[in-house]
Amino acid sequence: MELPNEKLIEVYKKMLLVRTMEEKWAQLLAGGKIHLHAHLGTGQEAVSIGVTAPLSKDDILFGTHRGVGEYIGKGMRPRDIWAEYLGKRTGLCKGKGTLHLADRTQNIPGLVASLGSDFPIAVGTALASKMQNKNCVTMYFVGEGTCNQSDAHPSMCMAALWQLPIVFAVCTNQFCEMSYMSEHCPTEDIAPRAAGYGIPYEIVDGQDIETTYKATEKAVKHARDGKGPYLVEYKTFRMGAHFIGERAEYVKREDLEKWAKRDPIDLCRKKLLEKKVITSAQDNKLWAEVREEVDMAVETALSDPDPTTEDFITDIYEQKGVL
Amino acid sequence: MGRTITFLQALNEAMTEEMRRDPKVFVLGEDVRISPFGQTAGLVKEFGPDRVLNTPIAESAITGVAMGVAMYGYRPILEIMFCDFAMLAMDQLCNQLGQWRYVTGNQYSIPITIRTNVGGGVRAGYGHSQCLESQFIQAPGLILVEPSTPYDAKGLLKSAIRSNDPVIFFEHKRLILGGISGEVPEEDYTIPFGEAAVCRSGKDATVVALGFMVHEALGAAQDLFAEGINVEVVDLRTIVPLDKAAIFKSVEKTGRLITVEEGRIRGGIGAEIAAMACGEYFDLLDAPVQRVAAPMVPIAGSPILEDMYLPNKDSIIQAVKRTL
Ligand SMILES: Cc1ncc(C[n+]2csc(CCOP(=O)(O)OP(=O)(O)O)c2C)c(N)n1
Repeated sequence: MELPNEKLIEVYKKMLLVRTMEEKWAQLLAGGKIHLHAHLGTGQEAVSIGVTAPLSKDDILFGTHRGVGEYIGKGMRPRDIWAEYLGKRTGLCKGKGTLHLADRTQNIPGLVASLGSDFPIAVGTALASKMQNKNCVTMYFVGEGTCNQSDAHPSMCMAALWQLPIVFAVCTNQFCEMSYMSEHCPTEDIAPRAAGYGIPYEIVDGQDIETTYKATEKAVKHARDGKGPYLVEYKTFRMGAHFIGERAEYVKREDLEKWAKRDPIDLCRKKLLEKKVITSAQDNKLWAEVREEVDMAVETALSDPDPTTEDFITDIYEQKGVL
Repeated sequence: MGRTITFLQALNEAMTEEMRRDPKVFVLGEDVRISPFGQTAGLVKEFGPDRVLNTPIAESAITGVAMGVAMYGYRPILEIMFCDFAMLAMDQLCNQLGQWRYVTGNQYSIPITIRTNVGGGVRAGYGHSQCLESQFIQAPGLILVEPSTPYDAKGLLKSAIRSNDPVIFFEHKRLILGGISGEVPEEDYTIPFGEAAVCRSGKDATVVALGFMVHEALGAAQDLFAEGINVEVVDLRTIVPLDKAAIFKSVEKTGRLITVEEGRIRGGIGAEIAAMACGEYFDLLDAPVQRVAAPMVPIAGSPILEDMYLPNKDSIIQAVKRTL
């Protein structure tokens, strides 16, 4: 399961960007520059990038509330993300969605607030692709906790029944808010549920970017080739609190230590250094470049204009003036 | 006399005391053992995991489960973290548990309390900030409660837990997070449903408010008083049953009625009260009823846009002045 060198460096850079974006988010919160609840995905970068980097621009992505990994992975630009997070009128959703990022140009229809409500919506976008004979796939990226939502089941049922081009990507990070998975799920794995609907599935290591990338590529190919839905479960660990500010006292120390040894970015860096794709000096330079890119994006977004009273009452109906 | 405790502590105490009093009372919901907002914090330590059940994220299913267990002798307190998520459970809430007593010819009681947070002002954005109380006023068989003080929170929550009918108990985020405190006695007490409270008496206009908006209304009344306008503020406390008599009594005195809610205006609680006033005591009114409510706009994440959305002291002052 090896990726070509140029691909490996590409996904490595994306992972660096994600981590840097999240570090910046935490700094902005601490400095009172942003109000938004920050659900970070530290430690899960190989999943979010591995799941989205193999997608083409026409493929449709439903992402999650946790961090920005999958949005960066699919092609959203840091500057656009910050403008939205900061509630600016230049944001992707004109400051109306904030955490709930949507980017039509990248085929990211948006993030629901009530988790799981988008399960059937994603099946709907896959149905549209099939009806239009478009060669694109819907990637439904979801936390393991959300798989317990009622609509998960009829959604998988319809996807299988109609052999829709959709991949269900389950990010099992062991937590549902402040509870360990064992408190909300009777089994260790989510994936075998797919078998109940005749959907093929696979469970993979979520720490190794090559593994996550390859597994996704295979699932996407299956869906794109008209063979119907596929489910991949990626095993990972949330290396921080549910959101910034929450103390996460329930997280067991030994778990943190165990998973820290397999940090996805460290693992990938090690490979790049061993394969001599980069030197450690080049690595340092990469980090510096990414930090600068993120700083710049934040700076410009911060000086962007705020929404106005006019913006307040537009976009509710197509026609202006209807309330 | 009472001690001063916070709104959050009042809720926690009501549940703790009721669980001690009645072994049939138990708590379930997402993450209730740790409790993100703190209402159920510590309960698992005293009552153990069998009486404080963490559930999967599955609002519709957990509401149905609570109904089933309530039909056979238990008194579940179900937490639906945000009222916005109660929309996922509308079938269970409105079609099933509210109607069951009636359609079974009174064979079954559904003694269940559903606690859920409402409201904006904490920058939680779309889907986490709505006041959706009025979504439930169309559903028969449900009792709807929304306290504005720690005293009422404790007394009303105890009544809810002891009620043999399903109660939806709304807790405003700004009351929980804002650390609103007040006097609460040590000894056991309950507050009956269907009794509004006059929390400020006046003679020029009646402001009927709910939950966090009661505090905005009191602020407005204070400012208006400085201008020589004396407003009476009525805190509804329960939406169903509605204390029609208290509203009537107040309007009889003032001749003017202003309804205040944080929920949206169309089909809101104010619409219901205004229709009642116009239909039942039109001749008492010296001016058209004014409704203060949120506009028919989704809640944006941008703080600037959220502030445009939320009704506040100033919008109440303007509405009162329109009636004078
Ligand atoms: C319908 C609904 N119920 C509850 C919540 C509150 N909530 C936010 S995040 C979360 C946990 C989600 O767990 P999971 O799907 O495993 O994703 P993770 O946070 O672990 O990435 C919950 C319960 C919500 N947003 N929507």
